[in-house]
This record gives sequence, C-alpha cells and structure tokens, in this order.
Amino acid sequence: MAEQITITEDEAALYDRQIRLWGLDAQRRLRASRVLLIGLRGLGAEVAKNIVLAGIKSLTLLDHTVVTEEDACSQFLVPRQDVGKNRAESSLHRVQQLNPMVDVQADISNVGDKPDDYFLNFDVVCATCCTLTLLHRIDEICAAHKIKFFAGDVFGFYGYMFADLGFHEYAEDVQKTKAKENIGEGEPATKKAKIEELETHVVKKSATFTRLSNAFEFDWGTTEGAKKLKRTPNTFFIIQVLLQFMEKFSRRPEVKTLLEDRQALEELTPGVLEKIGLKSDYISPEFARSCFAELSPVCAIVGGVLGQEIIKAVSQKDRPHRNFFFFNGIDGSGLVDQIGD
Amino acid sequence: MAASIFGVFDEVTQNKIISSKVLVVGAGGIGCELLKNLVLSGFPDIEIIDLDTIDVSNLNRQFLFRKEHVGKSKAQVAKESALHFNPDAKITAYHDSIMSSDYDLEFFKKFDLVMNALDNRVARNHVNRMCLAADKPLIESGTAGYLGQVSVIKKTVTECYECQPQAAQKTFPGCTIRNTPSEPIHCIVWAKHLFNQLFGEDDPDQDVSPDTADPELAGEAGKAALESEAKADAAGGIKRKSTQAWAMETGYNAEKLFNKFFRDDIKYLLSMEALWKKRKPPVPLDWNNLPQDVPATTHQVAICDQRLWSVQECADVFAKSLSSLKEELIKQGEGGMLVWDKDDDPAMDFVTSAANIRAHIFGIPSKTRFDVKSMAGNIIPAIATTNAIIAGLIVMEGLKVLREEFDKCKAVFLNRQPNSRKKLLVPCQLEKPNPKCYVCAPKPEVTVILNTHKITVKVLEEKIIKGGLGMVAPDVEIDDGKGTILISSEEGETEENTEKFLEQFGINNGVRLKCDDFLQNYNLTIIIYHRDKLEEDKEFQIIGDVSEIQAKYLEDKENEDKQPNGLTEKQATEAATAVEDEDEVMLVEEEEIQQITVSKKRKHDEEPEVVNGDTVKKQRLISDVAEHYDDIIS
Repeated sequence: MAEQITITEDEAALYDRQIRLWGLDAQRRLRASRVLLIGLRGLGAEVAKNIVLAGIKSLTLLDHTVVTEEDACSQFLVPRQDVGKNRAESSLHRVQQLNPMVDVQADISNVGDKPDDYFLNFDVVCATCCTLTLLHRIDEICAAHKIKFFAGDVFGFYGYMFADLGFHEYAEDVQKTKAKENIGEGEPATKKAKIEELETHVVKKSATFTRLSNAFEFDWGTTEGAKKLKRTPNTFFIIQVLLQFMEKFSRRPEVKTLLEDRQALEELTPGVLEKIGLKSDYISPEFARSCFAELSPVCAIVGGVLGQEIIKAVSQKDRPHRNFFFFNGIDGSGLVDQIGD
Repeated sequence: MAASIFGVFDEVTQNKIISSKVLVVGAGGIGCELLKNLVLSGFPDIEIIDLDTIDVSNLNRQFLFRKEHVGKSKAQVAKESALHFNPDAKITAYHDSIMSSDYDLEFFKKFDLVMNALDNRVARNHVNRMCLAADKPLIESGTAGYLGQVSVIKKTVTECYECQPQAAQKTFPGCTIRNTPSEPIHCIVWAKHLFNQLFGEDDPDQDVSPDTADPELAGEAGKAALESEAKADAAGGIKRKSTQAWAMETGYNAEKLFNKFFRDDIKYLLSMEALWKKRKPPVPLDWNNLPQDVPATTHQVAICDQRLWSVQECADVFAKSLSSLKEELIKQGEGGMLVWDKDDDPAMDFVTSAANIRAHIFGIPSKTRFDVKSMAGNIIPAIATTNAIIAGLIVMEGLKVLREEFDKCKAVFLNRQPNSRKKLLVPCQLEKPNPKCYVCAPKPEVTVILNTHKITVKVLEEKIIKGGLGMVAPDVEIDDGKGTILISSEEGETEENTEKFLEQFGINNGVRLKCDDFLQNYNLTIIIYHRDKLEEDKEFQIIGDVSEIQAKYLEDKENEDKQPNGLTEKQATEAATAVEDEDEVMLVEEEEIQQITVSKKRKHDEEPEVVNGDTVKKQRLISDVAEHYDDIIS
C-alpha cells in the first residue's frame, strides 16, 4: 500500500530536511500510517507534535479526561482558558495547525470502554496515562493483530517509554569504507589518501519484541534476575511504583493532594518491590519528592525518543530501541534496556 | 507553569526560576523547542534573538511557525506563538544579529543564563566571548540528523567554546578542482566557483581555469603545457581579462560560455599530458554536437529533483539558468553581483547543470539536483524529535546552572543507538579551561605563521583577525614601544595601510601585535612567526598553543635534513598509524550545527556512533574512565 503513495512537490518542499535524512521510501510509509494516541497530557502533546510534523496519514486523539491546572506545566496544545474541557477536543485545533496535511480527529470516549476491534483501525497505538491493566490489555490486542504498540508516561522528573513491535522487519544503513580502485589509480599518494570514503549499504534486519506483561512480571529474585538487576535502570522500579499508585487509586499523583500522595507512594514502595522479588528498600523513597505534574523538558526528552521510535516503526527504517527507554531527570540518565526476555 | 505550582520543583529551584532572566540566541529548530520548554517551566522573563526569516523547509520541525508565517521574523513569530502557551511570560523578541554592537556587554550582563540555539560557528564564537566578558554562564547546543549535544560553559570553571582548536572546513586542493576532479563534489565545488566567477565577487582563490602550477606538472612533464599557455592566451584572449567581463561582453551567450568551459578549457587541460598518464583523460564537449546517447532517468520518480538529467538536458538547463541569472544581475545595476543561494532556483539549476556536464567530461557519475543541493548547500538534515530532546536537555542543565551547581553540569550527547552501557544519552564530565586558550586564558596569546612579505594589512584584518580569530571590529597596534597603529576600528582611519605588506611596517619574525575588540571586550596578542613557505601552500596558519609551533619547527627541521621520501619503513608505518588514529574530521557549516567530528577511533571502543562537538573527544574519554558501571546504572 505504502508503495502506491506518491509524495507531491509541496510535500517534498515541506519535508525536505527529513527526506534528506531517512529517504523517500520512509517518508512514503509514514504518509500511509494511521496512529491512535491515547492520553493528551504533556507527554501526549509532545508525541502528537513530533509525529504530525513528520507527516503521518492520520492521528486520532483519544482522551476522556478534562484539562486541569497541572496541564500548564507541559500541555502546550490546550489553550490556558480550557481548564475543565475535554483534553482531546481542546488539543485538536493546535494539532491540526501543526500540519494541515494530516487528518486529525478527537475522540472523547474512555479507552477502557473501547471494544477490541476499535484498535484494528490503526497501524500504531501509543498509550499514555493508562493503568497497567489497561496497557496489558491493549498490548495483547495489538500483538494479536500485528499492530505496533507503544506505551509511555512522565511523572515529574521521571519518564519512560515501552515498545512492542512484535516481529519487526526494518532496513538499516551500514557504512563500509569504499576502496576506490579505478578512479584513484592515477592519483599521487597524497591525493589518494583523501579519496577514501564511506559507502552506505542498506541491510534488511528483523527483531522480535516481548509483551509488556513479561517485563512487569519479571521475577528479580531469581539468580538470573539478580544478575540482570545490577544493570537495570532504577527508574524502571520507580515507574512501577507510580503505575501501582494509579492502579490502586484510579488516578495519578496530583499536586493538589501533594502531601498525602507522597505518603501513599512511600507506603506503596516496599510492597511493589517485594512482589517482584526485590528488597523492600531497593529504591529510595526520595523519588516521591520529584514525581508530580509533568515537567516540560522531561516530556520533550521522552516524547522525542518515543516520537522517533514511532517514526522508525512505521517507516521500517533503522534499528528500534528494544524495548524500554528510561529518563531520570534527577541523575540525568537516559537509558535503553531490554527487559522481560 | 511548573514553577508557579507548588510541589513540582524543590523550593530552591522554584525560586531561581521565578526570579530569572534568560537569553535564547536563535529561534530555529532548537530555539522553538527551547522557548516552549522555558515558558511551560515557568521562566518569567525571556529574550530571544534571530536575524532569520521563516522558510517553508523549516516547517517540518520549527513548530511555532506555520505556512502563513513564511517570510516573517522567526524571533517575532516564535514569541507570539509561545505566548499562547503561557500568556503570563514576558518575552522580548529581536529580529537582529546577535553580533550587532547593540548587544554589548551591558546587554549580556542583564541575564542569569544565556542559551545558544545557533547554526554557525561565527556566532557561537562571538556569544562565547560575550559571555566570558560578561561572566555569564552559557549553554551551548547543536543537532545534526539523529545526533545532538548540549554542554555548559562557565568562565574559569569549564572549557570555553574555543579552548580546543576548531576543525577546519573541508577544502580540496585547487588543482583537484581545476584540473583533475575525480568525485562529484569536486565538480560541484567547481560549478559554485564558476557561478561566483560569472556573477559574484571575484575571488582569486576560486579560479576555474586550468591550473598550470599543478605540482604534478613539475619538471619536464609540464613544459608542453606551459608553452601552450602563452598560445592559449594569445588565441583566446580570455585569460587576460576577468571571466566576468568577458562573459558580460558575450551577453552570457550559452554557446560561447559552454564551449569555453567545457570544450576549450578541457582541450587545454588535455595538453598537460603528465596529468593523464595514469588517469582517464577528460573528453571535451561541443555545444553543437552533444552526445544524445546518455540516458536520463526514464522510470517514474516521485520528486522531479530526484531525476538524473541527460547531457542535453543539462545543457538546456545551463542555458536557461544563465539567462535568468543574467536578468537578475542586470536588475542590480552597475557594480551589482549575485550571491549563490541553494534556495534560489536559477542558481541551483546553474550549479547542478554545470557540475553534471563537467562530471560527464571526466567520466564521474552525475548527481540529481536533490543531491547536488545537499552537497553544494551543506544541508544538515534536521528533524523535530532530535531538536526536542536537545532542547529538553538544555533546560535540565539550565536548572543546575541556576542553582550554581557547576560541578554537576555535564556535556550530554544524544546518540543514535545506546552504547554498551545502555546509554542513549551520554553525559560527560566538563573539561577544565585550557590555560593556553587564546580566548579565555588570563592573557590570551596566539601565534600566526605567515610570510610577512606576502600578507597585506587587509588580509591580516579580514582573513586572519576577523575570519580566523573571530573578532568583529578590531583595533591593532604593533607592540614596538611606539604603539604604531596598524588597524583602527574607526572607519577610514587606517585606510592607507590596507594594501601594504606587513614587512613595510617592520613586522617580522617574533613581532607582537596587540589586538583589541571593544565589543567583545577581548584583548589578544598575536605573535608573528615568519616563514617563506607554508605547508600545503597555505596563506597563513593560526597556532593556539605555542609549544605546538616549537614541535612543528623541530619536525620541519628534521624533514629538511632528509631526502625527499626518505622515510624509513618504520617511520612510514608510524606515520600511517598516526593518520589512522587521527580523528576523521568533517565540518559542516550552516543549518543547525556547526561542526561534527566523527571519531574513527571511537568505533573501536564503547561508543559505537558518536557525534562530537569540537572539544569533546577528550571529555568523553575522561568520563568513560571516571564513571563506573554501577554508579551509572543504579
């Protein structure tokens, strides 16, 4: 299907600087892709911006929640005066303005109420602000129907993204030094040295991804787990506590209930850690002081990585990060890790 | 706004943000993203400056701009769009160059933090100096495709932007361009030079005619050609006057120009027989007898710029672009000239056609207009995601700077793939200032090697002091006890000096020149090092570190004592190894980033793919040693 799509001269002018990076074929595939974005808070806004600018075919913004004061920290797609209005609807106008060539829709229903076959309308599903239970369900549906699945969230200084691309085939540029025999033959030695150059070959590769549940239910108490643990980013466990909070209270930690939410997070931590085979004090409860609202620069970093992974997945160009990216704004680390297989 | 909501930041950070005043230099790819992050984080007082206007090719990433904004001021539109995100922020926009004297020391002193979101080295050097002079912390950044970097510069604490020598722009030997091209890029550079010769400023460094001074023609082999040079001059009568004057006389006649550059000049090149002993000789083309058997791309290509042209098509485009460019030049009136611009269609058509015709002559593969544009325009591909990540990292470093935690500040690199320690973002320790830096050292000194009999005051001012050493309006006096003024920043004051050679002022080996740039609040002593002949026929050479020149001098001495090519096998091997270990330096100017150093050596160690800014290789190595597995991961 993608092969039949032609890029117009207008599109070539608009996308010039990125076509020079990933090529026309990748741009054609992007142009054919239909994306569902669940959750329009700070991270969702960054992802929407990045993939709409890149030139996908269509984007559906799905969110049943309303704009709050906290959105002012990072949600640049909703007008400030829209507090109390639906997030997806409020975002629609500015998303569309980013690129008139992309078909953008808003859906104000609750993702939890969507039947399984709703997701079959998309090539990519990117879920933010969802509970673990919901993420597991959507991941399974996507895996069963070969839909590329992404999840991500930002809590204050912390953020992550996850990808399950199933069995994924992609093209990768490999550079080799080109030996130039014919042309360089007559050159004196001094000139010859300068002629050596890199030649790019396109190589076809594939990767197999694991389900989200395998990562979140991984037992770190085993010998194998303990060995892996040393090199696993701590942010992963912080995120698990935060997701557990959402599971338990059916909401995110919020600044308006700052003190009690902080306490709840500290109390939750040992139980979450023990359940996956870790010591109850494996991570310091300090994180609960810096995980409120969504920091704009953190959304930009996680949303930048997540947006690029979506672009890679649909354009089938370049090796995807398998299968997590974690950003920790306190220690400044940005790590890719393979967890769950 | 994060800083106005209690509980998002710690109290110290919150107060620092609320009371801050910051400057963003550049409203392009990084600048747009950065401005968004700053207003959302709650920075209350932001000034942004950019001299550029909006182009359609910006819209795929500079998300504060839309189609209806094309042609308008970037800084102004960025301000208006960002105010929608936070109407309470105070944003001041300047549609201007940061290098203008309006932005003096007092201007820079207003800010708590300066953030560069620039795309060229000249402006980066200037802001670096202004921030050093005003003692304000600076965050430097850049992106290129999937790669990017951020680093922090603080006077006396870290390296400044100019502490390490900056890689020179990639150049090609004149004789390769003029006589023996072997790559498409050689033909493209030649075609750009031809454009300037025909329509632009006359630059003797951009001669396009055959070069009889090619070192390969030394001795007997070049004799025939040298003899025929006189004949050619007499016959054509072309070389004696300027190419532009001659082309003007012909009315930019396509046939005459074509036959001169692609037939007669090539025939002349063929007469330099030594060049073609081992090379495939070029084949001259005649306007009236163009090969018709060279096929263009016949199959359907989505974008017409990605189609290859036949020789006939090239000739047609050559003729058409010549006549458009002639019109443009005439419109400018007496003394007018054109400046080559990749976004000007006739200029781009001209270079594409001329480069491909020359490529055909030399049996070099031709290139599409799309590819020629990348190469001729030094286009750095740019995407929204990389800019977003880098702009996010700038703010993360900025928070540490506001808290004055300079020991915690890092240079951070965004890689394409995680390294073996899982890092996609690679933080590196900041280097200490280079005590011999000719910019940030307490008493900056620099050595310039040149021939005092051949360098005029004008060349010293324009190419060395402004071009090479980055001053804007220098005053220069000779440190001869009398304080003889050589160059004055007051217009006209030292005009009579400009065409004189340095030696006429008694400037010879070891003489010190005191340079002062009032705007940059920068004093630099230049030590002149006279040599009759420089390596690779360079006009001059700037050496930051004096010990380097002593080493160089000794080396030269040794070489002089040797037979040419008299290296022992061991020495030759060592030399070859040294080249291998040397960073392969590629410099890309213009859009988005000023310079990328891809380290060959790096490929062998843990960072599989890295873009480095100028200074970074050492920093990264240090951080690799300093950091231990466990303290990065946990």
